[in-house]
Parts: sequence; C-alpha cells; structure tokens
Amino acid sequence: MGTSVQVTPLCGVYNENPLSYLVSIDGFNFLIDCGWNDHFDTSLLQPLSRVASSVDAVLLSHPDTFHLGALPYAMKELGLSAPVYATEPVYRLGLLTMYDQYLSRKQVSEFDLFTLDDIDSAFQNVTRLTYSQNHYMSGKGEGIVIAPLVAGHLLGGTTWRITKDGEDVIYAVDFNHRKERHLNGTVLESFVRPAVLITDAFNALNNQPSRRQRDQEFLDAIEKTVNVGGNVLLPVDTAGRVLELILTLEQHWTQRQLSTPIYFLSYVSTSTIDYAKSFLEWMSDSIAKSFEHTRDNAFLLRKIKLLINKSALEEAPGPKVVMASMASLEAGFSHDLFVEWAADPKNLVMFTERGQFGTLARILQSDPPPKAVKVTMSRRIPLVGEELAAYEEEQNRIKREEALKATLVKEEELKASVGAEVVTSDPMVIDTNVSHPSSSAAGLHSGAFKDVLIDGFVPPSSSVAPMFPFYDNTSEWDDFGEVINPDDYVVKDDNMEQLSMHVDGDLNGKLDEGSANLILDTTPSKVVSSELTVQVKCSLLYMDFEGRSDGRSIKSILAHVAPLKLVLVHGSAEATEHLKQHCLKHVCPHVYAPQLEETIDVTSDLCAYKVQLSEKLMSQVLFKKLGDYEIAWLDAEVGKTENDMFSLLPLSEPAPPHKTVLVGDIKMSDFKQFLASKGVQVEFGGGALRCGEYVTIRKVGDAGQKVGGAAIQQIVLEGPLSEEYYKIREHLYSHFYSL
Amino acid sequence: MASTGQPQSSLKRPNPAVNREGDKLIITPLGAGNEVGRSCVFMSFKGKKIMFDCGIHPGFSGMSALPYFDEIDPASIDVLLVTHFHLDHAASLPYFLEKTTFKGRVFMTHATKAIYKLILSDYVKVSKVSVDDMLFDENDISNSMNKIEVIDFHQTLEVNGIRFWCYTAGHVLGAAMFMVDIAGVRVLYTGDYSREEDRHLRAAEIPQFSPDICIIESTYGVQLHMPRQIREKLFTDVIHSTVMQGGRVLIPAFALGRAQELLLILDEYWSNHPELSNFPIYYASPLARKCMAVYQTYINSMNERIRNQFASSNPFNFKHISSLNSIEDFIDNKPCVVMASPGSLQSGLSRQLFDKWCSDKKNACVIPGYVVEGTLAKTIINEPKEVTLTNGLSAPLNMQVHYISFSAHADYAQTSTFLKELMPPNIILVHGEANEMGRLKTKLTSLFADGNTKIITPKNCQSVEMHFNSEKMAKTIGKLAEKTPEVGEIVSGLLVKKGFTYQIMAPDDLHVFSQLSTANITQRITIPYSGAFAVIQHRLKQIYESVESSTDEESGVPTLRVHERVTVKQESENHLSVHWTADPISDMVSDSVMALVLNASREMPRVLLESETSINEQEDAKKAEKIVHALLLSLFGDVKYGDDGKLVINVDGNVAHLDKLTGDVECENESLKERVRTAYRRIRSAVKPIPLSPS
Repeated sequence: MGTSVQVTPLCGVYNENPLSYLVSIDGFNFLIDCGWNDHFDTSLLQPLSRVASSVDAVLLSHPDTFHLGALPYAMKELGLSAPVYATEPVYRLGLLTMYDQYLSRKQVSEFDLFTLDDIDSAFQNVTRLTYSQNHYMSGKGEGIVIAPLVAGHLLGGTTWRITKDGEDVIYAVDFNHRKERHLNGTVLESFVRPAVLITDAFNALNNQPSRRQRDQEFLDAIEKTVNVGGNVLLPVDTAGRVLELILTLEQHWTQRQLSTPIYFLSYVSTSTIDYAKSFLEWMSDSIAKSFEHTRDNAFLLRKIKLLINKSALEEAPGPKVVMASMASLEAGFSHDLFVEWAADPKNLVMFTERGQFGTLARILQSDPPPKAVKVTMSRRIPLVGEELAAYEEEQNRIKREEALKATLVKEEELKASVGAEVVTSDPMVIDTNVSHPSSSAAGLHSGAFKDVLIDGFVPPSSSVAPMFPFYDNTSEWDDFGEVINPDDYVVKDDNMEQLSMHVDGDLNGKLDEGSANLILDTTPSKVVSSELTVQVKCSLLYMDFEGRSDGRSIKSILAHVAPLKLVLVHGSAEATEHLKQHCLKHVCPHVYAPQLEETIDVTSDLCAYKVQLSEKLMSQVLFKKLGDYEIAWLDAEVGKTENDMFSLLPLSEPAPPHKTVLVGDIKMSDFKQFLASKGVQVEFGGGALRCGEYVTIRKVGDAGQKVGGAAIQQIVLEGPLSEEYYKIREHLYSHFYSL
Repeated sequence: MASTGQPQSSLKRPNPAVNREGDKLIITPLGAGNEVGRSCVFMSFKGKKIMFDCGIHPGFSGMSALPYFDEIDPASIDVLLVTHFHLDHAASLPYFLEKTTFKGRVFMTHATKAIYKLILSDYVKVSKVSVDDMLFDENDISNSMNKIEVIDFHQTLEVNGIRFWCYTAGHVLGAAMFMVDIAGVRVLYTGDYSREEDRHLRAAEIPQFSPDICIIESTYGVQLHMPRQIREKLFTDVIHSTVMQGGRVLIPAFALGRAQELLLILDEYWSNHPELSNFPIYYASPLARKCMAVYQTYINSMNERIRNQFASSNPFNFKHISSLNSIEDFIDNKPCVVMASPGSLQSGLSRQLFDKWCSDKKNACVIPGYVVEGTLAKTIINEPKEVTLTNGLSAPLNMQVHYISFSAHADYAQTSTFLKELMPPNIILVHGEANEMGRLKTKLTSLFADGNTKIITPKNCQSVEMHFNSEKMAKTIGKLAEKTPEVGEIVSGLLVKKGFTYQIMAPDDLHVFSQLSTANITQRITIPYSGAFAVIQHRLKQIYESVESSTDEESGVPTLRVHERVTVKQESENHLSVHWTADPISDMVSDSVMALVLNASREMPRVLLESETSINEQEDAKKAEKIVHALLLSLFGDVKYGDDGKLVINVDGNVAHLDKLTGDVECENESLKERVRTAYRRIRSAVKPIPLSPS
C-alpha cells in the first residue's frame, strides 16, 4: 500500500497568517515551517503548542519571520525539541532576522518572549543541508529521505521534497519561477506527478507587470523624489528580499553615477552583507559566473552604505535613500524614520512587499491611504534622578537579600561540616552576588552584623571572633612517601589548536558592535511610550518586489507538475477558494484546502508492490526508447525468490494476446510539419488536419481539458480508399509505438 | 508497425552474452596509474561512461603531458568529474573540452571552478614551450569555463541515469571525492584527500554508503605523517627564532593550496606574539593574491573553525600579512618572512630571494611541501656546501634549510582507517609512484587478509574488468497492483524503464505515472461499392466466424460487425465505409474486408451452388498433419510415422516418440525431448488458426 500521509495546518490557512504545518508520513511528524508575525501574537501558536512535543523533525523553508519566527519561542516554551533542517543561508540569515527582530523590539518594549540566548540555542539544533542533498532520516523515520531544492524568493529558500518508498511529498510555498538578479528560479517545474504537493495560494489572485517595466518605474519614482530634495524610505526585511533591492539599487547607482547617499539600515546590516558575500554558491548562475570570471563579488557594495544605528544617518544632510529594516513598520528603524519623515510631502515611502495583516504598513497600503495614523513612539532611555536612585535601591535590596540568603546557606553548610575531620568545602568563597561594592550611601543595612563587617568572608560560626579561615594542609602518606596525584605533574601539551580556538566569536552568529553594545549595555533604562498622531503627507507607493510567482504562473506550474493530490494552504480565503476551483478543473481531481487544525489524509490510494525481474525474463524483453523512457510489453509469471520476494519469470507457454497499446504523444502542428517534410500537402481546416486531397486527421476530445494530465488521446483518421490513405497512415503510425 | 510486440520479441531475442556485457564494469586509468601526475580515470558500466579528473603530467610538456586520451572515444563520455584545481587533476581540461570530440557534461565544485581559471591562465603564461607545443591558450580556457557546470557538496545530480554526488576531500579548497551510482553499483573516486582537519579545511568525510569500488590515491604509500601540532610548532619556532635573531625567512611554496594554510598559521602566530609585530610577512604571488577573493568568499566549504571566526571577521583578511607584487617593490631592510612561488626554487621570485639570502647564515629557508626530484629545492634539502646561483656563479649555502611537510595527502594511517571504515570489496590504487603503491598494496592485502577484498594497481591504459550482477527490481503500481499476486499467476502490462528504475503498470495508467500517453486511432475508410449489401454480408460470413448485422442507431443504415473489431456500414447507394480502431490484427482484418469489397464490386455476384459451406474439419486436420510432418522433417531430418500413430524422431541414435494429439514426448535424452517438445509447440501454434479476439 502507499505511504500514509496526513497534513494538519497549525497556522496560516484561509488567511495570510504565518506558516506552520504538520505533515505526518507513516507516523513520522514533520513540522514544516514555524512562522510568526511581527506582532508576536502568542495566540497564533496555540495549535502548535498542542503538538510541539510530538514533532520529530522541523523543516524550514525561508529565512524570514513568517517561516521561522516562532522557532526560538517554540523551543523554549512549547516543548519543541526536534532536530531542525535548513539550508545554510536559511540558517544564517534566519538567525540574523531573529536578532534584528529581537533588537528592534528590545529597543522599544520590555520584550520577554525570547532572548538572544534562546535564539542561539534554538538555532543550534539546525542541521544544514545543501540543495539537492538527499538526507536519509534515521530511527523512527527510517526510509524517509528529505531534500531541499531551489525555491527562489529568498536566498536559500527551499522547496522540500520528502520521499518514502518512491513517493514524493513536495512542500513548495513562496516559490518564484522567475530568475532574478541574485537568485535562480525554482526547480519545482522539474517534478513530474508527485504523490502530494503542498503549496500556497498567497499570490493566486495577483498578476505582475514585467520585471523590466516594474524596475524602471521603481527607480524613476525614487529618483524623482530625490531630485526634488525628498527622502526615500524603503521599509525592508532584514535579510531576505532586501538583497535583491540592494543589487538593483547598487547597479542603478553605479550605472548612473548617482551621488545621493543610499543606506541599508538594520541592527545586523553589516553581517547580512558579509554573509551574503559568502553565499555565492546559493545565488543565481550569473552572479556565480561573474565571480568565476572576474572575482567580482556582487555584494561588494560601493555605493550603498551599511549602517547599524540611526545617528550616522543624521550626519548626512540633504536627500537620501534609506532601506530600513522591519517591513511592517511596526518596530525597528523603519518605524522611527517613518514617523520622522511622514509629515513632509516631498518624502516618499516605497513599499516593496505587501504589509502583514494588521500592521502599520498594511494600513498605509490601503486605498485611499489614511490621512493620519496613530503610532506609538517608544524609546528606551537611561534612568536619571529619582528613578535611577529608586532603581539602584531596588537592585541593592535584591543584592542584599541574596547575600543574606547566601550567608545563611553558608552557615548551614558550615554547621553541617563542623566536626568532620577533613573539611572539603572551600570556605574562601567570594560570593559574586555580593562582590559589588554597595554604592548606595543611603543603604540601610538591616542584615546580620557579620555581613556588615566583611563582605564576602564568612567567619565560621564556631569561632569567637571573626578570623581568617585557617586549615592544615593535610597530606596523605604511604610507604613510599607522600601520595601524589600524577595529573599535577603532567606537562601540558603545547596545543596550538587550543590557542587558536580562542578567537571564536562568543555568539553563534555575528553581531555588530552597536548591537553588541546594546546587549552588553547594562545601564539601567526604561521604555517610554507616547501615542502620537502622524500626518501622512509624504507620498506612499507600493510595488511588488516580493519575488513570488504570480497567479498565472502558479496555475501553469501546477498544471505542469500535475500532482496526484494537491493541498492548498496560506492565502486569503478568496485566493484559496479561487485556486482550489481552478485546480479542480485543470490540474487534478484531488484538491484539498484544509481548515486550521483539520487533519486531512492525503495517503495515496496507489497500490504498489515490488518484484524482482529475473535475468531470464529481461533477456527476452525488447525495450523501445521514447524520450527519457524505455518501454516494453511484459508478460510474466510470478515466482518467489529465496528471500521471499516476488520475482517475475518468463512464461512457459506462449503469452495470451493482448490489446495493442499505442504509446506516444502527437501534436497536430508537429505532425503537420512532419507530413510536409515528407512531401504531403497538409493544411488545417475545420479543426482537422487535411492531408493530401481527401484524407483528414482529427483529434477527438477537448485537448485543453486535461484533468489528471494527458489522458488517452483519441485520433480519427478518415478518407477514401486510396494509396494516399495508407501512406498517411504509415506516417501516423511512425509517431507511435505499438506494444 | 503492423507487427505485434510478441512475435518480434521472440524473433529478435538478444543474445544472452550481449546482455552480460552490460553488467561488465571497466575501469581504465588513462593517467596516474602507477605514477603521480596527469590523473585521469575512465570508467564504463551499462553503457554509461564516466571520466574522473583530467590532469597533465608536470614532468612532461606538450602532448606527452596529456593522459592517454587515445584509448577512449571522447564523444562517448557522458560525464566528466573534476575533483580539484591542481594542475595534475584539471589542467588538460581545456584541451579535452575544446580540442576533442567530447560533448558530455563537466562538473566541479564552485571553488574549484573559480580557481581553475586563474591557475590555468597562470600556467599558460609561465609555461615556456613553443607555440606549437601549447595544448591550449587563454581563449580555450575561457571557452571551457562556459561548459563547466558546478556541483555543491552533497548535492545529488543525475545525468543520463548516472547519479553522482561529492564529499569534502580536505586536500585543498573545493576538493571533492566523487561517488557515482549507476544502477545501484557505487564507485568512489577519492582524488587527493586528507583525513586530517587543518586550519581551514574540513577533513575528508567518510561516505554514508560503502562503495562497491573505491578508487583511491596512494601518494604517500606506507609513510606516516608527523602530527600536525608538532609540524606547526617546528615551523613557527624556526621562523620565530630566525626573525628574532635578525634573519630573513624564505618559504618557497606553490601559490595555492598549502600556501593559504601557512599564511593562516603565520597570521595567527603573529597575533599571539606581539613582539613579532614589527617584522613584516609578505606573500609574493600575484596568483595567490587573485585567489584570495575566492578564499574570502567560499568560507562555507571550509571547516567549522573558520566559519566561526568568520562570524567576527574574515580570517582571510590577514592582519599581519601583506602582498608583494615584485621584487622591485620589496625593501629588504629588516628581518622579515616572505612566502614566494614557485616551490621548486627553479626560477621566479623565490629563486631571486634565495640567491640574495643564501649566503647569510642568519637567514633560513623553510620548504613546506613535497619537492620534485631534480629541482633546487630538492638539492638544498641535502644541505650542500655550495649552490649555483641563477647567474651561474656559485655561492656558499650558509642559510639554514628546514624541510617541514604540510602536504595534505593521506598517509598510511589515514588510508587504512578510511578503507577499514568503508570496507569496499574492490580497491583500485592510483596516483602513486609504482614502488610506494606496491608497498601499500602489500600492506593493505595483509590488512584485509580475512575478507575477500580485491586490491588492484592497474598501470596506465590497463583495464580492470569487474562483473556486477545487479538485481533488477521493478515496482508494480496502479491498477495492476490492486491485489498482490499469487505464485504462478501471470502478470502482463507495460514495463517502463526510466534511468535505472523499472515500473510495471497497466496501459491505462501510463499517463498517470509517466509523461507518456497512449492513443487510440480510429480509422474510417470509404469504399465505392454499388452492389447489394447482403452480398458483402454473405461473403464476410464465408470468411469470418462472427459477423453480426444490425442497423446504425443514428443514420439507420445497415451495418456489419466482424469479430467485434471492424464495422462495415452502408453509407449510401454507392459507398461503404469501414471503421475500426487501429491495431495490427484489426488492420489485417480490415484489409481483408476491403479486398473482399473490392472483389465483390469488380465481379458482380454469381450465385454459387456450393452445397457445403462449412469447413471440412477432417481435411483440415489432415492438411495440418502433413505440415507438421514436413516441418519436423526439416528440423530433425529423420521423422517417421510410428506404429501407434506417434511420430518417431531419430537424431544421432537418440529416438523420440511424439504424440501428435497431446504433444507428449517420450525420449531417453532430456535435451532432445525438450527440443522436440518446444518445436512441436511452436509448429502447433503456427498451424492453428490465429484467434481473433484476445482471450
């Protein structure tokens, strides 16, 4: 029987919420994508929390919040502990995206859903694969092979293929068939009739203008704004589509010799570009080629400056173009810049992707755009004056309490150890918690008197007066003298390895100085928020630089791939419904669009068993070659091999006759040319091909209606009895193989 | 077209010996067989042909440096896989791609491809041969770049049914070991590999699957390397003390590969020893400088250590090392370290510096790699008293000479553990000097004494043949597989082969499981006929057993259906039409129907007073018997009628009795019995009328 396949959407069906799906293959649970939105709405993760512990492996497809944002939180809070699989760029850029998210949030709120350490530890579990690498699962997933394949859209973006027993389950969301500046198009079209295809309906209703036209309009709009002295803000993601924009703008700036300053501003911008430089093998052929030929790294930016904080921006007066992170405008630099620039009608805010639902970006993209929007301006400011004093007092109180607790514990310990002959615990403990000199002069010490005397030294309770601890250096003796520990005398290997290892970065990923400061910055601070209304006077523009296949291409790709079963996820209700109806008509009869947490069974009803082809049988089979295939008619008798496998043996008696099968695909237009080349007069007339004087060939049945791929073709050959008839029949037969 | 598949397959049964041919795997080293240099190994299996590496022999020039390409037909090669960028593995590629009939596909890793171009352009520039002897020029190299495709580590590709992927080999940046899988038979070609992780490269991986054949390098034979830490310590100690004592250090090294490793060591050592920061380090190789961009980019093919360092800053952005374009830019005023190419000290910058520094005993020369016999580098290792300078004068050799090998080839310990881990049933040794290889073979033979591992050391052009009887497995799918068959049942359907996978399916399912589709061709011929329709009906009944007459539902015209295959319709007074769906038997029937109609219209019906229309069965049987006898006679010669109605066949004294009714044969000789029975069965099926409908 076929492999059992179940799909349960955990988030992101019939709407544009982040993506997260549970795909279970013969009981092995894959969590494909683990997305979150820019609001970090924990209610979205409810379904995930119910199944997180039963997940056996996590597959990530794109390095953005929508596809992997919830990973740190799920690992920390929801009990997700499965190994994660992703490509190297998804791993690296995903990590940077999460850092940027965290840092942008931390700057403006008491963000406590996850910390940088949580991000690091979540990403530690990632096994990195390359495109087309077959990874064989072990243990429970024995027999399952997973392979990431090129998806386009984002750097490292993945279409996952999960194979068991020769049946493919394909997960392809947010793919792009078009080749772009930095990415190759998806290889999705190379699949033929997979058992199950899971794809999204996100763009089913969108159609795009040609790339060239769009690029031109985009650059024109920017240049126009700059020329009148306005600033351009491009809210972008951290490390995804921004790479394509950077290349587009860098190229334009270089070609036109523009001197307008242009910046890429995010907390991790320098790292993003550094990594982009080292991911050439994941990018498009043209980028790889130009590097091979001229060693010119496309991401060696000459015009675009990388910034990790806003202050540098203010140093350059006059118009400028800024790509700032957080495409949603909910937080991050883009948010701040928007608030600053929105009131000036000269300025332009250029959206390059559809804003997430319910975000500021989405509100601004509505038609007509709102005249004014309410925003929350939040800022982290260092504490001063009374607040600082209060904070310090609070800190001191905590410290003191801890110290007191520690001393009490120590005392207990000591009491317990008094009387024992050899004291094992080292009393010279300097409690790190209390080692800070207490700075507050107003501190009211209410602790035990010992604590007042010496901070850190704990006098034994048995001593009358405080004294420094003293211990006999007890040494053991045996017949040969003092017992020594040979380890003390081992000469340490001069290990270069160890020396060199010190250079390693402390954090798993790379952090910029500014961000590092932010993390290490322990000066007491607080978040101040103020609601304010921003008059939106600047121009707002939206252009589609999302890098996803548009509706028409999606449909034609789906028709080409022609999966046996199709599952639609992620997309607005209308888009999902639209694509479902379309596919039912033109792609395959089994189209599913499950609701949230609805488990659908897409186990193929395919029956299959394996047989061994005996040497004797194969020596009798005559293959005919047809494109990539070789094909033959087989009549055989079933036998058993020693290890209880079926084997096919040649028949002992002549095979029973069977209905002849004509194999081949004929296109009328091709056949017309073929006949013409053979000297037969041919022309199309009334839906039929007229050959010579009297003979006609017709294809019966609507060729456009191909439900479930190419069905059996019906060809009608008509004509009077004549020599010509037989000649044309001969030609027609030559296009088929009869078996 | 007009023949069925069945008789054809029995007529043209392929010779079993030919089929065996397909299972023969041939491996032929075209270079690097019992030698070091011009690596090139050719392999063919099941009609697929693969070539690994395409190098030149650095010891020869012109055509003689090439591998023995004449042994093979370049046009027949499907895939060419290049392991790394060293000249002895990649340098004949432009020649092979541009000057031969080769039209297959070439693959190498990204880093290899990027460096390949630089290294070969450099090779073309520095090789001092006459224009006629040049194997290729700059143009050929750039043309070849367009034909080379890239493969990433672990990425599985399939070309013409050949599946292949590569593992890291640890030899140089981008070096790969290729695993090729043809119809389930796996061959691993290691190229040059090293199992030791160094400063920037990962150690060679141990493949997940054991190959059936392992083609492995044997450069270092049974030698053992010093541990890396000790080598590095020696190296840095020598340099440290020389520089501190006011001397200069010359490191003659090939521009790529080991040089980068040494630079990493030096840069790090300088960082850890601030007292050295006043002494500059130079690398004087334009090629190395150009390639530095490649090293700075393909960080992801290097080891964890480098990738972690990359997180803070690119380790190939050296802090203490600067590049040197030529000796003119070099101000020789204080102690320094210079790494210069070539490693052989034969000419170039390294030689200029050597000439300058060799007589001062404060200076030192560290030779970091394999040195070729007959070069100055080899000479000075033996520390002669005097050396000859480039200008012909001789000078005393006072500088210290140290030989510390950093060569990234596997030594015996690595090779043996690697093979122990993989346990390939067949090991083919290449890329090793004959004596070293012989010693390695002996040692490996004793290592694998208990198993049946074969170790082979072919010479150039000496083919190794092996047979792999791979079991062919097919998957029956779709309607045909709805129930699992019992033993003895008959399975018939389409056998579809793609690459090396077989599927058996019902014809209706063909379009579901493959991109092929089936077709029905309906044919309709109109024939002028003005006679009575009943005449046709009568005549058809005389020939065919089953002729049904009815009227057409739509037009109400009378129709005849012959054996459920061919329909004859009276379209009008003057026309008949014949309909059928194309297949060989129906075509034949329709032809006869048409002939009959034409005959009937030519000679107008005569009423024949045939008393009996039924076929005389007895006569028929008699005729059949005669034919059987005649055919047997022609087959066996001596055939007589026996007493009991049986036929007695006498072949060379062996007598067989054949019962004509049952087909039973009695004979002492089993083979004769079998032959007679088969012959009789076939004759019977030929003599009996063809059944018209499929049973």
